[in-house]
Amino acid sequence: MKKFTSIIAALLVLGSMPSMAQTQKGSILIKNATVITITNGTLEDTDVLVENGIIKKVGKNLSASNVQTIDATGKFLMPGIIDAHSHVGLDAVNEATSPITSEVKMEDVVNPYDVGIYRALAGGVTISHAMHGSANAIGGQNITLKHRFGTSNPQDLFMQDAARTIKFALGENPTRVHGRGNNNQPRTRMGVEAVIRNGFNEAIQYKKTWEDYNAALKKKGATPIPPKFDTRLQTLVDILDGKIIIHCHSYRADEIYMLINVCREFNITNIVFSHVNEGFKVAPELAEYTMGASIFADWWAYKFEVYYSTAYNAAILTKNGVVTSINSDSGELIRHLYHEAGKAQRYGELTDDQTLALITINPAKQLGIADKVGSIEEGKQGDLVIFNEHPLSVYAIPQMTFVDGVKYFDINTDANDMRIKVSATDAVEPIFLKEHDERCMHGVDFFFTNFGRNLFEHSH
Amino acid sequence: MMKFRAILYTVALALSPILAQAQFDGEFIKPRNGRFLLQNATIVTVTKGTIQNGSVLIANGRIEAVGTNVAAGDAEVIDCSGQFIYPGMFDGGSQLGLVEVGSLAETQDYAEIGQVTPNMQALVAVNPNSIAIPVTRVSGVTTILATPSGGMFPGTAALINLNGYTPDQMYAGFKGVILNFPSSARRSTWDRRSDEDVKKDAEKAQKNLNDIWERATTYHQLVSAKAALPYYPEMEQLAKVVSGELPLLVEVNAASDIELAIKWLENKEIKAILTGVAEGWRVADKIAAANLPVITGPMLAIPTRQSDRFDASYTNPGKMAKAGVKVVIRSNDSENTRNLPFNAGFAAAYGMGKEEALKAVTINSAEVFGVADRLGSIEVGKDATLFVSTGDPFETRSQIRHVFIDGFRVPMSNRHIRFYQEFLERSPGLEKN
Amino acid sequence: MNINPNIKLFGSLLILVLCTSLSPLIAQSDPTGEKRVTGTYAITNATITTAPGKSMAGATILIKDGLIHAVGTNLSLPAETQLIKADSLFIYPGFIDGASNSGITKPNDPQKGENFNPSDPSDELAGITPWRQVMDHFDPKSNQIADWRKTGFTIAQLIPDGGMLTGKSAIVVFGNSKSSNVLAQNTGLYAKFRGSRGTYPATTLGVMAKFRDLYKNAELSAQHARIFASAAGLTRPEINKTYEAFYPVLDKNIPILFEVADDLEIRRALSLQKELGFRMVLVGVTDVDRVIDEIKGSDTKILLSLNLPDDKAFKDKKDNESEDIKSRLDRVKAAHQNALKQAGILEKAGVKFGFITLGAKSGDMMKNIRLMVANGLSEDAALAALTINNAEILNIQKFTGTLEKGKLANLIISTKPIFAEEAEVKYVMADGYLFDYDLKAKNKGNGIEGVWEYTSETPAGSSGGTIEIKKGDAGYTGTITYDDPAGTGKASTGMNSITYSDNTLSFNFEVPVEGNLLKVNVTGEIKGGSFEGNLSIAEYGSFPMKANKKPNL
Repeated sequence: MKKFTSIIAALLVLGSMPSMAQTQKGSILIKNATVITITNGTLEDTDVLVENGIIKKVGKNLSASNVQTIDATGKFLMPGIIDAHSHVGLDAVNEATSPITSEVKMEDVVNPYDVGIYRALAGGVTISHAMHGSANAIGGQNITLKHRFGTSNPQDLFMQDAARTIKFALGENPTRVHGRGNNNQPRTRMGVEAVIRNGFNEAIQYKKTWEDYNAALKKKGATPIPPKFDTRLQTLVDILDGKIIIHCHSYRADEIYMLINVCREFNITNIVFSHVNEGFKVAPELAEYTMGASIFADWWAYKFEVYYSTAYNAAILTKNGVVTSINSDSGELIRHLYHEAGKAQRYGELTDDQTLALITINPAKQLGIADKVGSIEEGKQGDLVIFNEHPLSVYAIPQMTFVDGVKYFDINTDANDMRIKVSATDAVEPIFLKEHDERCMHGVDFFFTNFGRNLFEHSH
Repeated sequence: MMKFRAILYTVALALSPILAQAQFDGEFIKPRNGRFLLQNATIVTVTKGTIQNGSVLIANGRIEAVGTNVAAGDAEVIDCSGQFIYPGMFDGGSQLGLVEVGSLAETQDYAEIGQVTPNMQALVAVNPNSIAIPVTRVSGVTTILATPSGGMFPGTAALINLNGYTPDQMYAGFKGVILNFPSSARRSTWDRRSDEDVKKDAEKAQKNLNDIWERATTYHQLVSAKAALPYYPEMEQLAKVVSGELPLLVEVNAASDIELAIKWLENKEIKAILTGVAEGWRVADKIAAANLPVITGPMLAIPTRQSDRFDASYTNPGKMAKAGVKVVIRSNDSENTRNLPFNAGFAAAYGMGKEEALKAVTINSAEVFGVADRLGSIEVGKDATLFVSTGDPFETRSQIRHVFIDGFRVPMSNRHIRFYQEFLERSPGLEKN
Repeated sequence: MNINPNIKLFGSLLILVLCTSLSPLIAQSDPTGEKRVTGTYAITNATITTAPGKSMAGATILIKDGLIHAVGTNLSLPAETQLIKADSLFIYPGFIDGASNSGITKPNDPQKGENFNPSDPSDELAGITPWRQVMDHFDPKSNQIADWRKTGFTIAQLIPDGGMLTGKSAIVVFGNSKSSNVLAQNTGLYAKFRGSRGTYPATTLGVMAKFRDLYKNAELSAQHARIFASAAGLTRPEINKTYEAFYPVLDKNIPILFEVADDLEIRRALSLQKELGFRMVLVGVTDVDRVIDEIKGSDTKILLSLNLPDDKAFKDKKDNESEDIKSRLDRVKAAHQNALKQAGILEKAGVKFGFITLGAKSGDMMKNIRLMVANGLSEDAALAALTINNAEILNIQKFTGTLEKGKLANLIISTKPIFAEEAEVKYVMADGYLFDYDLKAKNKGNGIEGVWEYTSETPAGSSGGTIEIKKGDAGYTGTITYDDPAGTGKASTGMNSITYSDNTLSFNFEVPVEGNLLKVNVTGEIKGGSFEGNLSIAEYGSFPMKANKKPNL
């Protein structure tokens, strides 16, 4: 009997072991900082101890042996910033050839060499949600990355304990790519609804087909024939089963409301709307039925569906009780999300805590990782950033950024050139004059729509 | 919490009895001029220090008085206790008003067809009623250089104030012809030309520029000698640059290109301003030695090279200023030109310092555009183009309370604000009843 | 399930083929006088390296009926032996090419048709053609074969051209042009992370997902077929040639030959292998230093390209550059240096690997090997990677790869030790046929007239078409076909300003897009029948473009 249990225990241990090597976990003691905990106020002259990647203690006069100590007197310590919508560190963004591509996975195309990851760290961002683009009504499965920059192995960047998420997209992008680009549904917002609805209904059928098959297998003497395997539909089944959080690219109030209704009908509650420029118009509905909105601070007018926007979106949403985050969707903005969040004070006068929640605990909630990151609390992961001034000041400069207690950015000691991999043949480097942002429509505009227009314009 | 909203409502309510018979509700607040006394403010004059508890008297579109002891007379008094007065901020390069909706070709009026189109006048295409103009000016950005883009000589930029119903009412007194200096840079990671091809293409473009310039010079010489030449509007406009009547705004970014541009300008007796200058920090001494002013930005941009330090674009203006270059900041944006002060804030934080960054959006700009006699600082006799803020206007938490352009008090409202007013507490809310 | 002709079978088949085709019983007269007099040769008094690290001086090798009859000293030679004096010459096993596209033409793209739906293309349109046999697209008379044979290659695994699953590879010997020269077919299923432009799957994202679904459904399809064969009253299985082409992979009779462009693609291929469990050979491996542990931890075979990056970027740079530029150049230099070290790193890590000519130029091959040797690769390992390792990876070591009695008469006779700078290949014997390189072969005219097939890599995947150039009185004229940006099929248009001088071809053409004409400039270098250059579109950037000339018929 004893032997049996120890085998079980061994199996359990083995089973829970990640298949790849463990990522590095660090220990660090940060002393005398103004600690902005997000969930528990701001603590003056406070120490934070991280051991083996986990915040062990927050308090005064902490000490620890054999742990590197950083004196942060006069400095501000906040949780690592979380970007709920990014395309940094990806080799491909859009599989734009089908209105539903729920089978594709961003984890397949993570590029750990993207110096954009380091630049995000230099802006205090420790986690980004690497998303599929917005070409399809139902896009691919996203991957949440921890910015453990410096590795060659994409898997080292994966936040293994993050929730599964998937990209949806409404409005101009999917209707342009498929409808006007390829003469396939959807060409209208009606079509977008129908495509999504069709997908869910087919998934229900698919699930039943396999359930019937598996049930038949158990019957003695039965020789059922296996149905076709379809990752696309299986992923939709997982959404219906509540295993995946939807992050939906959306702009107009009507389309947001449409998807809220579809989700309610299919009993889906795990949904976050992204961009949501007109979210302020349906704030009560977003507050009641969704996991919130992840928005731009002030982007508007780059396309027609964002013409009727307001920079007061964050304030209206927050004050209506919507879980709200501010994201980058850009290799540029991700470098100063603390500043983007700050704009919610210019436009709507949110408090410091409300404002900083937009880039910490709120995006953590939307990614299903709020129990692990997003605030400075004992037991959470040691993702931290030290600023020289209050992070909502325009003069604030991140000084050091930690992921799992390991320092990945230090303004004083890092080299200028942080590229991990360099071309062996090109001495003339590309010069980026307009922001080379990793955009939602990355790789799509060129062939479907803006062929002949400006490749560098916003196309989120 | 929402002071300005309360003010707006008070004004609207006060007027409502008069409008009781009208078919529509509410009152539209228009820009209005008159005599105003901004009282008890900290006045950041930029050129003449900071005045505590001071007042600014606005009349006839100008600053009539500045000081600690200014009588109101019949002026409308605006209490600015605890607040700050700054000169209106300049954006040294923007497409505001030249485009309404970024992706819609029908609303893009900044890029004309052709490589040599210096005769395209930005001022003609500025839409005074663009929704983005009131969105911008409530941030304290009052004056922008509207810049065309596109070919080698895409057109003539114009300095405009962000108030007025016709382009002429908006015109702020400066025009300049834009030259996109040939680039030897690789355009993106998808530009897979060989190093040699990149070089060859740049040389070809450079030769093309020289040929055109020679034509312009010839045109100018012949016209000066009273020759009757056939109609040639492109050369006519370029000749104004050759003669020194109009300055040349040389858009150039890569370090090696900046050096080439300096060399190219060396023997030409024209007024030139470098714009873009994203890699100015690499050759700051050379720009300073050439005594060329620079309009640079945005700072909120990724570094030009993958190998550059993460903050290269933040530190660029500070490094140039330290080397002795006169620096003006631009957003190079359109609908979000309101982010100009934040660009300046990043420049300030990353080495430029607050004082120098403030100059780079006020007096430096006025000087570079040749309008410092009227704009760029709070001084008696200058145009009343200024704003009142609860704090440092580069800080996002500061609120801009009042904006005056050319003596007009502009309404602190726009579509973004009206949406806030309408939707903060939507009615009906979640349920209809 | 289909019969999987495996390599062993082909080995025995081969002996049969050799016996019959070379048997004097079917000898004929030859009024051209070109037929050889005898198939028995003795190459005498040479330094013979029979395998990496094994040499003997003053030795003779006797060839008979296409096979090595004996290697050694004091051999007794039959009367019909033709003697080749090789005093002071060096003999090596003929090189084996792990992956080659010599003589391979790309099958024509199928037309997309009127109501083409890019989300649901036929497999063929999606670049999924695993049923294709490379021998159906092979021209044994291609100059490329002759070029590579001249450098010492006598056997190659031929790779079909195409999309994400191009088809089945085959192994040929570079022997007598009258023979089919096939040693084995169905040697592997060739895969790459190449999307099909504008069609699902278009990107690596889609390719990975599609690969998984194809593989799993092939398994289910096989399962269905088995159940159907064993019980009555069941729905019949739908015959699907794509799934069937996977069966030998599922049964582990053949490997997937996965083409990889960099270490990230190596990882992607390894993760697919880990998930699905197929046998795998990685083709065109680079950046091994970044994945060496993962490679060692997998049971994957490694094929390394004989191509190396050039050093143009920093070769002619002056010393007076700024510190800024210097430090940048130093990194390019270091990256270049590292690229030269890759083979050495594999050797040091104890990973056996083979070389391939895919993507390499025959003129640079020996220079590149010397560069690798100068950067840590031993000469023995280099020779192994060209001979026995590839024989093992291709599973043909039983009859080739070394100079031993009974193996194919594939060998190289060189004036100096093979990797020495002054070494010249004097003879190559392939399949018992002797190729004499005393006379320098003249370059055939390199005119640009004719039909070219091109591909271009763009942000949304690869695209391609044909270019046809004619020479008239007023210079060159031409037409080009391209993927219609409107999304359906190919469009074609005339080419403008075609110029060709100093081996540089340039032209432009215009593509109508949303009512505007978009000008596309093309320029690049012609070498023999291949073109390498760029396609650039106004402000969007420029994209690499490659073309190969179809043989003029």
